[in-house]
Amino acid sequence: MDNVCEERTFSSVFKTNSKTIFNYIYYKYGNEEKAHDAVQEAFVKLWENCAKVTTEKAKSYLYTVANNLYLNVLKAEKVRFKYAEQHKGGASAESPEFVLEEKEFQQKLDGALNALPENQRTTFLLNRVDGKKYAEIAALEGVSVKAIEKRMHLALKSLREKIEGI
Amino acid sequence: MQENYLAKWLNGELTESELADFEASEEYTAYKKIVEASNKMEAPNFDTDAAWNTFKERDTKSNSVTKVVPLQPYKQFLRIAAVIAVLLTGSYFYVNSLDESFTTAMAERTEITLPDNSQVTLNADSKVTYSAKKWDTKRALELEGEAFFKVAKGKKFTVTTAAGEVAVLGTQFNVEHRPNFFEVTCYEGLVRVTYADQEYKLPAGNSFVVVNGTLVTADKPTASEPSWMHNESEFKSIPLRYVLNELERQYGITVSTKNIDTAQLFTGTFSNTNLKLALKSISTPSQIEYELSEDNVLFYAGNTP
Repeated sequence: MDNVCEERTFSSVFKTNSKTIFNYIYYKYGNEEKAHDAVQEAFVKLWENCAKVTTEKAKSYLYTVANNLYLNVLKAEKVRFKYAEQHKGGASAESPEFVLEEKEFQQKLDGALNALPENQRTTFLLNRVDGKKYAEIAALEGVSVKAIEKRMHLALKSLREKIEGI
Repeated sequence: MQENYLAKWLNGELTESELADFEASEEYTAYKKIVEASNKMEAPNFDTDAAWNTFKERDTKSNSVTKVVPLQPYKQFLRIAAVIAVLLTGSYFYVNSLDESFTTAMAERTEITLPDNSQVTLNADSKVTYSAKKWDTKRALELEGEAFFKVAKGKKFTVTTAAGEVAVLGTQFNVEHRPNFFEVTCYEGLVRVTYADQEYKLPAGNSFVVVNGTLVTADKPTASEPSWMHNESEFKSIPLRYVLNELERQYGITVSTKNIDTAQLFTGTFSNTNLKLALKSISTPSQIEYELSEDNVLFYAGNTP
């Protein structure tokens, strides 16, 4: 049977999925430590049940385990982000005012993100930060692509409303 | 504008006119700014290799690398359990449908009452088998050794031995089947014996004897029951070898011979209760000597002048 008990298969599954699982849990709960734990837990469970899980199903199995781990027990904390420096060209092409304004905007965005419902935030960030396609997010959340589009739409809409203070 | 157009826009799925409309809208700049800012966001650092090492370490610590192995004995256990369950259920039904069986050892005798009150007396070293369940529809049993039957009236009653079949309706008869020896004696009623595909009708007071594959005529029995029912073994012109075999069975002893013609015919009886007497009964008429030690008897040729 095709399962993930083979160590090489397992390690490749680990390498391709662990970061996204980490991010996924982090976006949900804003807790880095718990996100690390979730990755470990999910893979321990997968290893324990490796004989029953096919390589195909491994991914959704991992998300289900990670997702269920803190279901209703963990209170969401603030998600914090690092922002990459934007400047591609010279070190300080922009005026100090602009940089300040930019910083302010990023703080507002952080606040708005944290105010989003957990599922909208997770969907939005998986798409924007991790570059996950809607279909991929839909698969790991176990919902339709349309539902993900709805979440994206609503997320973007409320982010703008929050930031503009409407 | 189509449903969830913001999501479509991010995905580049808006039509040209929709895109133009959207870009002309008030909110466009704000959305664009959000998206641009979000593109610069980075999730906290996650070191995949470090996580993998942590996993491996934890794995070896809790020994869950071999956790796959503990699964196997469990499966093994399930497998064994399943086999046992099947065997138990199987044997339950098997035992339930199993035939009744009675066996006597050497120097032992037992009486059996069949479901229809027919009586079977089993002589030493013999065995009967029958199905109590099917008895109502088929009165049939298998015999190894010797038994005396008092059959209640009713349907055909069949006794099967390896040598032949004995069928009756209701009567008293004795069947003995020993290696190379087959004897049926009818004491009451009529017995039908099938031997070597031949049918023989045996009226009351007749014996049917086959020794070594040859049918021998036997004298009519005088008693109403075989002699062994009265603790005596009776023989009429029977080769000595079979007499000695019977002696072994009745007393559970080992008989050996020296310089004796065991084919010589023996007519007479011996006691099934008194070994000394029995030995005398056999040796005296045959003019042979015997020596008894423990469970062994040696018959040897006497010093005939």
